[in-house]
Amino acid sequence: MKRLFNPLLLASAMVLMTTNVAQAHHSFAMFDNKTFVTKTGTIVRWAFNNPHTWLYLNIKNADGSETLWSFEGAGVTGLIQRGVTGNTIKPGDTVTFMYCPLRDGRPGGAIGWVKLADGKALNLADGGCTGTEETSRKR
Amino acid sequence: MKLTISRWRLAFGTLVLALTPLLALAQGGGFGSGYGPPLKVIPAPQSFTTSEAHYQFLLTQAKGGTQHTIASVPRWDGLWVTAGNTHMDAFIEGGNFNGKVRAGVLTPAYEKAFKERWREQTEEGQVHYDRLGRCEPPGMPRFLLEPYSHEFINLPTESYLINDFGPSIRRVLIGKQHSNLYGTHSWYGDTIGFWDGDKLVLNTKYLYPADFTRWSPMTSNQFEAVEIWQLHKYPDGIERIEVQATFYDKFAFVKPVSAVYAFRHAAELAQADYRVIHWECDQTNNNFLDDKGVSNFHLPGEAGFNDGRGSTIFPELPGQTRDPIYNTALPAATSPAQSQSAPKGAKP
Repeated sequence: MKRLFNPLLLASAMVLMTTNVAQAHHSFAMFDNKTFVTKTGTIVRWAFNNPHTWLYLNIKNADGSETLWSFEGAGVTGLIQRGVTGNTIKPGDTVTFMYCPLRDGRPGGAIGWVKLADGKALNLADGGCTGTEETSRKR
Repeated sequence: MKLTISRWRLAFGTLVLALTPLLALAQGGGFGSGYGPPLKVIPAPQSFTTSEAHYQFLLTQAKGGTQHTIASVPRWDGLWVTAGNTHMDAFIEGGNFNGKVRAGVLTPAYEKAFKERWREQTEEGQVHYDRLGRCEPPGMPRFLLEPYSHEFINLPTESYLINDFGPSIRRVLIGKQHSNLYGTHSWYGDTIGFWDGDKLVLNTKYLYPADFTRWSPMTSNQFEAVEIWQLHKYPDGIERIEVQATFYDKFAFVKPVSAVYAFRHAAELAQADYRVIHWECDQTNNNFLDDKGVSNFHLPGEAGFNDGRGSTIFPELPGQTRDPIYNTALPAATSPAQSQSAPKGAKP
């Protein structure tokens, strides 16, 4: 039975709200914030830094090899207010996540939401990526 | 079961629709706006040609200021975060990203420059120059808008206004005259102040020219400020420090510009047992401007990537990684230029 409370939908709603209130220290021009992509990967590093956090993951390619991807998220102060800390995500964790890609095609982008292995959904967005689960496409 | 999901989707849609007008009202360039009653600008009591004339007027009005003791000086203890401002409204009609540059605020040269910055912001989604993207510190006046945690420590003869990113520390000397032994300007300039009861009145000058903020006009080396800081208490336990600021800049502004900025207690940070640590560009910045002048990032493995949690330049010694808790490693760049800051073979 489906749960009435869906954490991913809640995270998506929070991501949507973030777009209206968050303003990063730099622009979001490098991100294609109209394209929302969902992938699964293994955490290499969760850099819980100001003024922005960075999430680094290994993602498997079609040929079985792996590529390191890099995603920018909100600053520390904002994320702590959403209940996220530097220990919330750990190296080795497998997560599903949504992002908006870099326009130049390199392996990176702006992070939207992350779903942990236990089903917990996190809103890591900083206003540069505002898609929901339904608008995301899997790659 | 389908009915349950539909109800959830309906509730979700209703939530988003209900919040949209509130969020629209929260626009105006204000980090954390929407906390407490609407902010109202209190302009200078009369026209002044310089910030010092304005400051001296307020000092005379306060009969030389209140001489607080350690027991009576207003306490603004704890962590604070920004709680909105009227900043954008000072320069943009409507105070949001759909507005146009206000006429009659900036001098011709600065208006022309700001119109170009505004075009960059609205058409390209970015301005080409942003001080943090170049590893320059937040500085003043950007200090007033920085969305990181703040601490305000008041003593009878000095106050320390701190923003945790940068880090930015504005040292306020109470009852002093301006001094500039360096014979130059700086990111935070020189700030003097006095107390008028529970109001802290400041005068800042000797500032570097820079951008006010990312979406704002440039300011010149003649930018000066008069600020009045006061803790306001509202019903339902709302406490907000409101900063009524008037900015003077003979090169940039046709006449002085006034705006109000606010801070609220960061209860969430306190509850999370937050600690302020030192952040600066070396740990965090991988920005660069591409050949089209657009902001972008260096990624791991690329020349120019700075691994803020990598190792020091002494990787042959044990214990040189900056990430000893999780011991993660990112690919080092292959270019010689990067080899010093991201050495291969670093030991944890």
